Amino acid sequence: MPSSLLEFIGHFHPLLVHLPIGILLMGLLMQWLSQNEKYRPVQQAIPMVFLCGTITALLSAVTGYLLSLTEDYDGKLVNWHMGMGIGVVVISSLLYAKERNIRLAMDKKLLSIGLLLLILITGHLGGSLTHGSDYLTDPLTRIIYSDSTGIATIKPVPNVQEALVYRDVIRPILQTNCFACHSARKQKGGLRMDDSLMLMKGGKDGKVIEPNHADDSEMIRRLLLPVDHDDHMPPKEKPQPTESQIDLIHWWISQGAGFTKRVKQLGQTDKIKPILLALQQVSLIAKMPTDIPEEAVVKADETAMGQLKQRGVLVLPIAANSNYLMANFVTDTVINKEDLQLLLALKKQLVWLKMGFTNVSNEQMAVIGQLTNLTRLSLEHTSVSDDGLKPLQSIQNLHYLNLVDTKVTKAGVLQLSGLKSLHSLFLYQTTINQADWATLKEAFPKTQIDIGGYTVPTEVSDTTEVKVKRS
Amino acid sequence: MTQKELHNQRLVKEAQETIMGKQTRRHFLKESAMGLGALALGSLVGGCGTKSSPGTLFDPAHPLLPKLPPFPGRAKSVIYLHMAGAPSQLELFDYKPELIKMDGQACPPSLLEGKRFAFIRGIPMMLGPQAKFAQHGDSRAWVSDRMPHLSTIVDELSFLRAVSTDQFNHAPAQLMVHTGSPRLGRPSLGSWVTYGLGTENQNLPGFVVLTSGGHNPDAGKSVWGSGFLPSVYQGVQCRSEGDPVLFMKDPAGMDRDLRKASIDAINEVNQQEYAVYQDPEILSRISQYEMAFKMQIAGPEVMNINDEPQYIHDMYGTKPGKACFANNVLLARRLVEKGVRFVQLFDWGWDSHGSNVIEALEVGFINKCRSVDKCITALILDLKQRGLLEETLVVWGGEFGRTPMQENRDGRKAPFKGRDHHTEAFTMWMAGGGIKKGASYGETDEIGYHAISGKVEPFDIQATILNQLGFDHEQFTYPFQGRPFRLTDTRGKVITDIIG
Repeated sequence: MPSSLLEFIGHFHPLLVHLPIGILLMGLLMQWLSQNEKYRPVQQAIPMVFLCGTITALLSAVTGYLLSLTEDYDGKLVNWHMGMGIGVVVISSLLYAKERNIRLAMDKKLLSIGLLLLILITGHLGGSLTHGSDYLTDPLTRIIYSDSTGIATIKPVPNVQEALVYRDVIRPILQTNCFACHSARKQKGGLRMDDSLMLMKGGKDGKVIEPNHADDSEMIRRLLLPVDHDDHMPPKEKPQPTESQIDLIHWWISQGAGFTKRVKQLGQTDKIKPILLALQQVSLIAKMPTDIPEEAVVKADETAMGQLKQRGVLVLPIAANSNYLMANFVTDTVINKEDLQLLLALKKQLVWLKMGFTNVSNEQMAVIGQLTNLTRLSLEHTSVSDDGLKPLQSIQNLHYLNLVDTKVTKAGVLQLSGLKSLHSLFLYQTTINQADWATLKEAFPKTQIDIGGYTVPTEVSDTTEVKVKRS
Repeated sequence: MTQKELHNQRLVKEAQETIMGKQTRRHFLKESAMGLGALALGSLVGGCGTKSSPGTLFDPAHPLLPKLPPFPGRAKSVIYLHMAGAPSQLELFDYKPELIKMDGQACPPSLLEGKRFAFIRGIPMMLGPQAKFAQHGDSRAWVSDRMPHLSTIVDELSFLRAVSTDQFNHAPAQLMVHTGSPRLGRPSLGSWVTYGLGTENQNLPGFVVLTSGGHNPDAGKSVWGSGFLPSVYQGVQCRSEGDPVLFMKDPAGMDRDLRKASIDAINEVNQQEYAVYQDPEILSRISQYEMAFKMQIAGPEVMNINDEPQYIHDMYGTKPGKACFANNVLLARRLVEKGVRFVQLFDWGWDSHGSNVIEALEVGFINKCRSVDKCITALILDLKQRGLLEETLVVWGGEFGRTPMQENRDGRKAPFKGRDHHTEAFTMWMAGGGIKKGASYGETDEIGYHAISGKVEPFDIQATILNQLGFDHEQFTYPFQGRPFRLTDTRGKVITDIIG
């Protein structure tokens, strides 16, 4: 028989296996029930059930054997699964014989318990083969270690130069991108990558890594092929490694593809240095705004938040994973005492406050000055003047202050020179002009001060059109 | 049968017909779901009777209320400037001196083998850059003299110089850029964003679309459609000439209170409908009526660019009262300033094939450049001086690039200089919203044909935009047809090299 036909038959295994499991368990259940007087009549059917179970178990075993020839599974696990499966066939046929009252020197109860155990173990091993040995327990471990994502993530390396190249840098990349198909549970293309010896040995088409010759290595070649190419790895529909991860693997192979050295022991090109350094950071997308306090904060007072929302003020956490809040008066431009009192109740959590285009007054600014955790404050297009700025001296964490189109003057802004964290200051459409720039820059050496007033000159070409040149 | 009996029979029949008429298709399906085939039919009307479907962020009664992103985003709003028709990167940003030398020579066969072009047939001639290039700013970015104003602010921008796509016709390529699929039916970027984040100003739409250049984009309104997301998230197209939204003013003889009373009455009827059919789209409709009422106050104020001071009009080069891109750009800034989440601008007319004056690189293209250069420069500077650029992401680009070869449609020499559609490499740029200033990512080969490093595709740009708004594009999904869908499908990598 041609091998592809055998493979086709083998592929029926996952379908067939469920029949003997169900039928034989049913047989065992009927056996147990029939001990009860009420269910005695069931006994008649038991031999038939076991016969069916035995036949489907035999078919499963045969197809399973064919499947094991064609797919690349972990050999040890497959052998155990096969042995147990054959055990199921044998014991179920013995039970059938016993039920047909054929004389056998064996205890029926012992056989039944044995069959039950065998079915459970064989089934579990089969599941481990297809879904991976940690499939069943994985959600449990996640509960225990309180990690809800279930996605293998690459953890940052504390000191990358001291880290082991393979264990700390390369292996985590392979683990997240390759192990699903090339490790203990599955070895597609005969390639197993979770073991250093097997990784160097390669797959059924030969070596995948040529130490010191990254560009000649099959692994690099396949990683760099266009995603749509048939040979591209990982396959198109699977998550793809990032460009810097590929650079790291390339670098590791070109440096000899060793398993014991530390990062500092290998030659480092200018290209790889920043990539290595980036490994020390928390994650790929770690470029978060810097204007959120690092320390955690307790949840904000729900009633105060609710009341503000009732009043038309937009209050909400800055992100799903944070208790810090932002507030925005975009649709409630009339600010009164109650609004401010409610903001004060959220003092600890409130970091971003937008009061642009509102009627906020200098007197009310005294309350804003008490919101000492603010990092961003927008007051554009309000009548706030120098007196209103004074209370802001106490907001030491202020990063961003927008005073566009307010009544502030240079003297008023200079009151704030003690704010060391101030990163951006916007003074467009105020009395402050370019002549004040030098004085302000001196007072705020680290702040980006934008006085605005930019123009874009109108050239002749901006208002005319080119016409066809007639020759 | 007596006359009276006949009459009664007719009455009963009429009553029955009325009842049957009320059994709408939706109602029929809902009723059927109780009986046989409950599983299949039940899922068809699964939306009915639930306040919000499980696994979604959709709250039908308040669909546009602001929501929090999964992690704190750098950008709060997006202004996306799409040059529909695909502007030539080789006349704007991708300087290729080698191509000057090859001008007029036959295209090497290696560039044509196995390739398909929209119009090029046989062996075309190479076409050198039709503009003068120079490096600008501290970032030494190459920009041609077609964009004299933009070249003064290159240090605010991040260039993506090796963007590629796999669609060489306008409509599918535009869909690809905006919906992540070349086929119809997927939600657009702006819809995903307003679905995920809502909008800050409840008196204005969250996703506004403005078009210029005389035509809608080739892919039609699907590029701002909501696809399988609830329809409330589709882009609201505003007119760029006259009143941006029609019927914003109360009609003569109808005052505000009467208007309110009529909307309350309509909503009352809709509430009753909802009580019967439990269709969440009815709640959306109620909230839309309420928004329309509120927009009547907020809308005219925000949408009217005439109350901007003269120096701002001079800066943008607007033409008040006329339909033009510059007006739309200024309006975009006003909308973002008032808390609109996503403003999508389409400017039509960048399809420089060289087959007529408008499509000529030496005529029409120059005029297109002149109509966008000044106002885009003004937009960046204006957002900057207002302290808005930090949290407003500006994206500029087309749907693909243009070939280094001159187009020879139907094997004939074109009357004007022009280039065909090119998918392998083109230039886009982003600014603000936490994007690096003065960066450049990606490189093309010496004639600008292929990307040789830093190649990105539309999925990567979508992933980056979502990232700047506080989303992990791989986790941001919507359940539809039994599986979670995401904007970037199975692809997309955040372009970390341009994130500041």
